Amino acid sequence: MTNDKTIINQVHHVENPVLEVHDLTVSYDKKPVLWDVDLTLPYGKLIGIVGPNGAGKSTLIKSVMGLTPNSSGYVKLFDQSLREARGKISYVPQRESVDWDFPASVLDVVLMGRYGKLGLFRRPRKADKDIAMDSLRKVGMEAYEKRQISQLSGGQQQRVFLARALAQQADLYFMDEPFAGVDAATEKAIISLLREMSAKGKTVIVVHHDLQSVTQYFDWVILLNMRLVASGPVEKVFTTELLQETYGGKLTLLSDVGDLIRQQQFPNREKTPDSKSG
Amino acid sequence: MHALQIILTGSIVAISCGLLGCYLILRRMAMVGDAISHAVLPGIVIAFLLTGARDSATMVIGAGILGVLTTFLIEFFHKKGRLQTDASIGVTFTWLFAIGVILISAFAGKVDLDQDCVLYGEIAYVPLDLWITESGLIMGPRVLYTTGAVLVVILIFILFGYKELFLTTFDPAYASAIGISTALWHYLLMGAVSITTVASFEAVGAILVVALLIAPPATAYLLTENFKFMLVTTVALGILVSFSGYYIAVWLDGSIAGAMASVAGILFGMAFLFAPGSGIIIKVIRR
Repeated sequence: MTNDKTIINQVHHVENPVLEVHDLTVSYDKKPVLWDVDLTLPYGKLIGIVGPNGAGKSTLIKSVMGLTPNSSGYVKLFDQSLREARGKISYVPQRESVDWDFPASVLDVVLMGRYGKLGLFRRPRKADKDIAMDSLRKVGMEAYEKRQISQLSGGQQQRVFLARALAQQADLYFMDEPFAGVDAATEKAIISLLREMSAKGKTVIVVHHDLQSVTQYFDWVILLNMRLVASGPVEKVFTTELLQETYGGKLTLLSDVGDLIRQQQFPNREKTPDSKSG
Repeated sequence: MHALQIILTGSIVAISCGLLGCYLILRRMAMVGDAISHAVLPGIVIAFLLTGARDSATMVIGAGILGVLTTFLIEFFHKKGRLQTDASIGVTFTWLFAIGVILISAFAGKVDLDQDCVLYGEIAYVPLDLWITESGLIMGPRVLYTTGAVLVVILIFILFGYKELFLTTFDPAYASAIGISTALWHYLLMGAVSITTVASFEAVGAILVVALLIAPPATAYLLTENFKFMLVTTVALGILVSFSGYYIAVWLDGSIAGAMASVAGILFGMAFLFAPGSGIIIKVIRR
């Protein structure tokens, strides 16, 4: 834990972390997007990454998975290199990142979760199909197996993406805004599924934009705004002071943040479907 | 016999082009196929000038290198120069094609390539250009063997790389996240498009390769909701295009390749109007 006079931050480190990010800096076209992020995360927790638009939340998980080149720093997962840990990590991209008019069925998409395990040239077998169907059942989409993906609602698309990640049977899951633009029923279904996963010892790292549900949903929270403001147990780091530091002038309802935290037992979960992260 | 050889060659070309075209249109890279089909020209000429050989293997290698170079240049101008993709495609392939045209005209005496033939092709000559072995055995049309060999390569590529191609086309970010190289499959696909294009050159010409690369897959896209069906429908459409194109050309006493491409366009128009799910007519009736 560090405490600086001018820069307020609070980073809790853990022994034997599931993910260790060391001095990570990422830039696009020489403009830094993430600056010197240094954190460790515990096993088996539901972890939220929170920050304003353009804070680098998606970039953080993408660069941890090696999808964007890092300017400097390194990442260790399960105390291994990314290459060694690849088979144990899964990813749920933002729903809008793919073309949902693609000629594919729900089962086709979920089976993609098995591709990594199959390796080159091998086709999915019955065992893989069983796992895919099982994953669909877990997200309540087993009846949609043969449906073309363009016929799905936003919430159903999100459930399919989640089922694909589940089919991977990974240990560490990265999810980019899984609650963006989904209906309330889907949001509830997803969060109870994530809880179930974390109860089984899986680690789930979620990019999240809705401050009101943070204390309800997550065990651990990362506050990010280009630099790391805080990382730690929700009850310790989800404070007015650290949120003010994270959102700066961008949070228009800054004075309400304290109220939000107090009102968490009566959450207002209205969503804007088009909200996006940076 | 000649009719059969021409229809067979046309079908083979249409199938190879169509199968690859399915991936191109879903990757929003249809015009990259266009670019490659033109930009391989200097590769063919340079390969010929360097080796002096006009055999298919030399030409395919030359074209393959230029094809992959083309996609590399398109991405390079797009990423490093911040040029829009379509502008980048336009600059790259016209420039490379122009170099090919200059090379042909400058070395016209030495190169047994005709500009008209490169552009428009002449499938009617297929039965005339025979493969004769050294012992004098007549093996049949040479183009039939080259296009046939390329079709086999394409089929093996799609069969064995099916799931990788499918995933990198649908969701490249997820593919990278689970350790499937999007760059590798991208360049393999571009290489496949290059060799298909060059093999199809002599049969249908550069411009009509584009029609076979895009029109049947675009038609199949409107007619199907499943990727495997889309591939199968494209194959069926390719055969239909070749067959009916030939007989329409005979009936009109016109260009066979032109008739094939026209049929491909007409079939697309019909699918656009009458497709069961997405057709305009159905939508009007439902309204």
